[in-house]
Amino acid sequence: MNLRWLYLFLAIVLVLWVLIPIFLIATLAFSDRPSVFAWPKGLLPQQFSLETISFFFGVEGVWKAIRNSLTVAAMTLVFSVLLGAPAGYALARYRFAGADAYRLLILMTRAFPLAILAIPLAVQFIQVGIYDTAFGVALVHTALALPFAVLVTSSLFLGIPKELEEAAWTLGCNRIQAFLRVVLPLALPGLAATAIFAFVISWNEVFAATLLTLRERTLPAFLLTSLNDSPLPFRFAGGFFLIVPALIFIFVIRRYLFTLWGIANR
Amino acid sequence: MASIRVENIEKTFGKFKALNGVSLEVRDQEFVVLLGPSGCGKTTLLRIIAGLEQAEKGRVWIGDRDVSQLPPRARKIAMVFQNYAVFPHLTVFENIAFGLRMQKAAPEKLKANVERAANLMHIENLLERYPAQLSGGQRQRVAVARALAVEPEVLLMDEPLSNLDALLRLEMRAELKRLLAESRTTTLYVTHDQVEAMSLADRIAVMNTGYVVQYDEPMKVYQEPANTFVGGFIGSPPMNFLKLPVEGRQARIDSLSLDLPMAAPGPEVLLGVRPEDLEAFTVQQPQSFPAEVLVVEPLGPHLLLTLHFGQQHLKATVPPDFAVRAGQTIWLKPQPDRLRWLDPSSGQALEAR
Repeated sequence: MNLRWLYLFLAIVLVLWVLIPIFLIATLAFSDRPSVFAWPKGLLPQQFSLETISFFFGVEGVWKAIRNSLTVAAMTLVFSVLLGAPAGYALARYRFAGADAYRLLILMTRAFPLAILAIPLAVQFIQVGIYDTAFGVALVHTALALPFAVLVTSSLFLGIPKELEEAAWTLGCNRIQAFLRVVLPLALPGLAATAIFAFVISWNEVFAATLLTLRERTLPAFLLTSLNDSPLPFRFAGGFFLIVPALIFIFVIRRYLFTLWGIANR
Repeated sequence: MASIRVENIEKTFGKFKALNGVSLEVRDQEFVVLLGPSGCGKTTLLRIIAGLEQAEKGRVWIGDRDVSQLPPRARKIAMVFQNYAVFPHLTVFENIAFGLRMQKAAPEKLKANVERAANLMHIENLLERYPAQLSGGQRQRVAVARALAVEPEVLLMDEPLSNLDALLRLEMRAELKRLLAESRTTTLYVTHDQVEAMSLADRIAVMNTGYVVQYDEPMKVYQEPANTFVGGFIGSPPMNFLKLPVEGRQARIDSLSLDLPMAAPGPEVLLGVRPEDLEAFTVQQPQSFPAEVLVVEPLGPHLLLTLHFGQQHLKATVPPDFAVRAGQTIWLKPQPDRLRWLDPSSGQALEAR
């Protein structure tokens, strides 16, 4: 019984640990200037105001960074689904030599430290001519998002019985028609979740984006390089805009993330 | 409508030989059941005919077309799967219409065919529902209706009743029989349930370890099994096999001598006799042999006796009012026209000569 209270207490501490900063950022992003600087801060928002937010959007380069972020994230989303879903389908449907090794190898790409890759990658990007472009950053983000895309879609396709496809074949479909008419409609919600997750990974990624861009900064890269010499309200508003889309998306697709983690635990 | 002919089909999965050169012919409008224990290759054979699996060797004909190299969609077949494989994102109507839509059938024909198939399966009031709103039995009806709607030349069914509960299975079995007798579609049906096979089939192909071991009408397969495997697999309880010494053209059970219709292959011969073909008496009779009762199981319509004859076990079914208890010795009289003689070393039946 005591143990249960302890668990509950620890859970509350953990939740507060995560929620309090988010709460502070959110309330201060919607407060006026004086209350942002006020100290000590009250727990409840002092005064609702769009002053901080509008100041944030007024800063030179913010809109461009948001646009860049959206472009990169959209490209990452498309690449991840187009490359990840076929790989996931192959893992789910075909027994081929090295399937298990391949599955593991995909996860290993996440274990490879980006910091070591960064400089050679930047050099290579300059040589190829995609340094400081949205496309270049999207390629790296795709590499980061792809392991999740492959594993989530593979579990997704595993959940759709092969007999449904076979039934479609016997009823006059070729393989592509069977996929489009039977598998795709059933996989669509999961594919959407995969796409959103790729989008969020790209939206939040800061390291590669900072190293591989100079002028075409994404929002996190732009904020990271300008945080130190910006006023406090700007930081709060910027933080808020980084966190919120990710939180909303993750909340929407949480069911599918659990299945992903279910695989990772196996 | 068409016949099916397969020739010398061989298929290996890794090191496992699933089919060892199987040949089989299903006549036009015939209902043939592939029967065998799991792993005997029956489903693999069906899937090869459907084109869902590729054979390493051999050919498949449907009608006079060699379909060996054709994909499933070009074979003019329809298949019913064990787990129904009804499309969950489509209504019952759209499920049944699926094949017709792929054929780009005219709207009137599509509607007429769907309604006819739905009526045949008694699901005309479920057409607007989604599969998630149906019971297992109803889903199975949808799956059969979907297969019939495309008017296939050949209908392939892979254990279609095995996921239903016992009562529903009995009901669906009778209904399938009525339905297929009406539609007269050539049907190949896979099952491991010998009762299902007996009740449905025009002919049964009994399979074991990748071979067709016997292919004949149900009663022939039952009464004249080709070997000990068929006799033991079909019938519940299975056929008794007694190893008996041979003297000239006669086999001896205790003091009883039975005429052999053929020359014995050696000093011993195997007698196959069904439990219901042994008449039981409490006192000695002519043409009978003694056996000791080990177990008496009252099963309702009859008593099932497990008996001892020398070192050999056998089973007999006797009328429910037969007064017997364990430990008693009774006299068994085999029906002379229902005996099957087999080679004890190979297990193969001996033909009269």
